[in-house]
Parts: sequence; C-alpha cells; structure tokens
Amino acid sequence: MTGALDGFSVRQIARGVAAGDFSATEVARASLDAIARRDGEVQAFQQTTEELALAAAGEVDAARAAGKTLPPLAGVPVAFKDNMNLVGTRTTCASRMLASYESAYTATCVQRMLDAGAVPVGKLNMDEFAFGSTTDSSAFHSTNNPWDLTRVPGGSSGGSAAAVASGEVAVALGSDTGGSIRQPAALCGVVGMKPTYGVVSRYGVVAFGSSLDQVGPLGRRVEDVAAALNALTAGGRDRHDAMSQDCAQDYLAHLDDSVEGRTVGVIPALLEAAGLAAEVRTAMRDAEERLAGQGVRVVEVDLPNMASSIAAYYVIASCEAFSNLARFDGVRYGYQEPGHATLARQTSRSRALGFGAEAKRRQMLGAYLLSSEAYDRYYLAAQKVRTLITADYRRAFAQVDAILLPTSPTPAWRHGEISDPAALYLADIYTISNNIVGNCGISVPVCLGSQSGLPIGAQLQGPAFADARLLTLARALERASDMEGRVAPAFAGRGGELA
Amino acid sequence: MSLSRQDVAAIADYARIGLTDAELDAMTSYMNDAIALLDPILEYDIAGVEPTYHPIGDLANVARDDAAAVGLSLQEALTNVPDSQGGYVRVPAILGEGGAS
Repeated sequence: MTGALDGFSVRQIARGVAAGDFSATEVARASLDAIARRDGEVQAFQQTTEELALAAAGEVDAARAAGKTLPPLAGVPVAFKDNMNLVGTRTTCASRMLASYESAYTATCVQRMLDAGAVPVGKLNMDEFAFGSTTDSSAFHSTNNPWDLTRVPGGSSGGSAAAVASGEVAVALGSDTGGSIRQPAALCGVVGMKPTYGVVSRYGVVAFGSSLDQVGPLGRRVEDVAAALNALTAGGRDRHDAMSQDCAQDYLAHLDDSVEGRTVGVIPALLEAAGLAAEVRTAMRDAEERLAGQGVRVVEVDLPNMASSIAAYYVIASCEAFSNLARFDGVRYGYQEPGHATLARQTSRSRALGFGAEAKRRQMLGAYLLSSEAYDRYYLAAQKVRTLITADYRRAFAQVDAILLPTSPTPAWRHGEISDPAALYLADIYTISNNIVGNCGISVPVCLGSQSGLPIGAQLQGPAFADARLLTLARALERASDMEGRVAPAFAGRGGELA
Repeated sequence: MSLSRQDVAAIADYARIGLTDAELDAMTSYMNDAIALLDPILEYDIAGVEPTYHPIGDLANVARDDAAAVGLSLQEALTNVPDSQGGYVRVPAILGEGGAS
C-alpha cells in the first residue's frame, strides 16, 4: 500500500507499519514533508519537532524489528495544540507571555498518545490562551482555512483543525472550553470531539476555565477520532487530575452498529434563529433526514434556558480565566519586563505587555465579576442558571440519545470580517451550553455549503459519559455524507508521499 | 449600571494589568458592552435554585497515599525563571512605592 499519506486512516497507517508495508520513519518523513510543502500557506504550526518525531518513529521501527507487538497508534503522526506540554518543546499558548516557555514536563494526554505509539510532529497554533474562535488572536501569526486561505479556520483550536484538514497530520489534539474543538472542526471540514468533562486528563494542559475545559481529538474520520480517544483513555483515571474519571473502553468497537431505533432530538426554534445561514439550515435538515433514513427516530425537544447560556458562559469562563491566569506574574516563568523597583510594578507591566488584547479583556471582565459588588449579581446567578440549563438537558436526555444541532451558525468567515468581540461571542451559541453542563459533543462535516462551497458541520450532543454511543451516531451521520476522509482540495496529495 | 474609567482603572490595578491611558478608554468601552451582554442572566427566576459550580456534582476529595515521589529537580524548576540567583527566584522589593498596595 503506497500513495500520499493524507489518504490513509489512522488504523491504515498503524496496520501498514505493523505489517511492514512502510516504516514508521517513512511515515514520519512523509508527514514532515507534507508540513514543509503545505504549511507555508496554512500556517497551522507553531513549531515542528522533527527530532522528536524521528526518535519516536525509530523506536517503533526498532520494536517491530525486535518482533514486539506494536501499540495501536504505532507510527501515526500527531500534533498538539500549543497549550499542551511536551518535554523538548516550547508551550507558548500562542502568547508573548509564554513565547520562550520550555515544557518542564509532559501532559498526560500527550504522553498517552505517545504511549500508544503516535509520533509527535509539532505544536499547533491557537487563539492566545484559547480565548477566541478565529485563531487570529495568536500573538505570532494567523492560521488560514485550508478550504479558502482568505478565511479563518475557527478557534481556538484552529491550528489543530487546519493541520488535519490540510492533511499535514492524521490526527491532532485540541481543547474545548466553549466550542474550541467543535467549531474549528466544522469550519475546516473535519471531525472534532469534545468528550464528556472528566474523560480526558487535563494535567499538563494550560488551564483556561477549569470547570469547562476538556481535551479531545480532531481527525478526518469519526474512526480516527475514536482511535485517538482509545489512546487518551487507555490508562484509566489520571491521578494528576482530580476531575479525571476511568473511561477506558474500546470506542471503535461499536462505531458501525445499527442506529435503528435510536432517538435524536432536534430543536426547531434554533433553526429559525437570526444569524443562522440558510445553507446551514438546509444542511441540518438534510442531516435529520439522513439519520431518519437509517431508522433513527427524530423528535422535537426543548432546552428552554439555552438562550441564557452565552451570558452564563461568559461569566463563568471569564471568572475562571482570571483566576487561572493570575499565575502569570513573570516571576517563576513567562514574560518579565525588567527594570522595575517593586514587584507590583514589575508584575503589572509584565502582564500588560505579555498578554494580548483579548487575554486582557477576559481577565478584566473576570476580575470585575468576582468583585464584591458583582459576585452575587452575576457570578452566583450564572451558577444558578447553570443548574437550570443542566436540568433542561437532563429532561431532554430522558427522551433522546442525542441532540442534533448546528456547530456554527455560518461557515468560515474571512479574516477580520467579524471584529467586534461581542459579535464573536454570539457565534458560540450552539456549542457552549455543552461545556456548561459537561456533556459530550462532536462536530461531523456533513456537506459543502450550497452557496459558499465551504464545509458545514453538524453537531451531536450526548449525555455525560455516553461518548461511545455519541460516536456511533456520529458515524451514522458521516456514513450518509460524502465528507469522510476529505482533505481540503488545494492540498490533497501535495507532498507527503509514502514511497 | 455602567463602569466609569476610574472604576476600570481600579479593576486593572487589582488584576495587575498596567493599562496605558489609550488602553483604558478602549477597555472601559469593552467592559460596559460585555456586561450588557451578560444582562440576560438577571432575567431568570433563580429564587431557591442551588448553584452548580461544577459539572461533576458529587465530587469527593481525592487523597493520595502520603508517599514520597520524584518531582521536578531544582534545575528543571528554574528552567523558565527569568531572574534567579543561587538557586533562588529573584524578585524586586515587595514593599515600597506602590508595592504594598
């Protein structure tokens, strides 16, 4: 089996390496070649890690030569959002604050991918500290959507989505606090999953909103994402993350199970909401029909308090961000502006110069909302509204296995087209309630827009710890589309040849 | 309720983010817009509703065995320290002009 690496699934790569069709080193070189030939335009990467990649690939090849059984992702090229620590790399969070930060240890999610035999080829661009939905707030450079380089890839895991969509890597990890895996996946035409809160350890991932953050995989197929989730959960509970749960199981085992008799909820009012592009509405109705065509019962459900989720989210997320980012004082690590006579001045100026505009805005909002005058009015109220939203979902999931809804109200927009922060916040309407409640969610590319020609993603949300069932429904949606395994056409097959 | 420029300056001081005058104007405008966006939260009937601070409701404190384990070495811990001396992190005076506030 030969050809361009971007045509292979994760399992095909691992099986090919195990069978000796090609070596892990050849695969690593093909991925690095694809990055070299494509990333000048896509700009998904913050850094590539050729040395680490070839060392890891060499270990896989040596293990095979010694007759050992290879782990399930042996030789599969993977890249990580640049908020995940990996010893031997910088972890910048796309911020001037951490521009020269050297990872002191390796995040559990990264380590588990490596333990499964995956080969690390680099670290990926993101919105600064994951604040944003365009990746344009990176302090270093923007990332371009591989389907149309004038457009944003979404965010905050925009580098992860773009690297997968352009075929530079088979799979990437991202993090999702309010939609930051699912929304860029939708805008770039790939699959992106936010597992249930607690499924994947966050140890070693720079924190944004601790009651919301979750790590998850992006890939070009539901199967590739499930294979990565297997690796991420394989070690069971991580004792370094108090929220981590034992969720080890084979997420590939039931992907192609029949979905006949399953029930999926839809919320008609959401499809009439202002700001929803007509082609997204059409795509969602088609998705409903495709599920119904496989025997899924589609019923109406209601989440009456969902409209409050944006406000609740921006209260909770800003407060948690302020609390988490207080650690960046320029003393133990991070940007420090020298020459100040007192610690207070040094801290204040280092933070002012180290953080970009959006990082400052979110922290300022959080600082205000946690002040004595605003705490009860906003922070406590938001946590009570969270209880109402949670109850809404509980009622809905008593009736249905999953809820089908758009991921983003529009396909990818042009760089700079939406500049008002408040307008960008509103674009998160379909994804953020999922984080507020801690449920699982996944975005699956379902078609190219009838007007824009750009990818459109459909989102499925499921109850907590029903991740495997969610993947089965996502696979049903994918099966009825023609988007499975698609690489953005301008990049498919460019470099990355397996000899 | 709207925040004045002075209010925002006080928040910036508390948050240890030293904004310039120009940044302070833009930040005041942003803060008031953002808070207006949060106002729907005030319209919900939440009397008697318990807050949810966390998605995993029944969290128990996780204790580990009190056993020694290898952590970061001194050298590793100092890798990213901007200013150190003799194995210690060095900082400017913590008291003095503006320092104790």
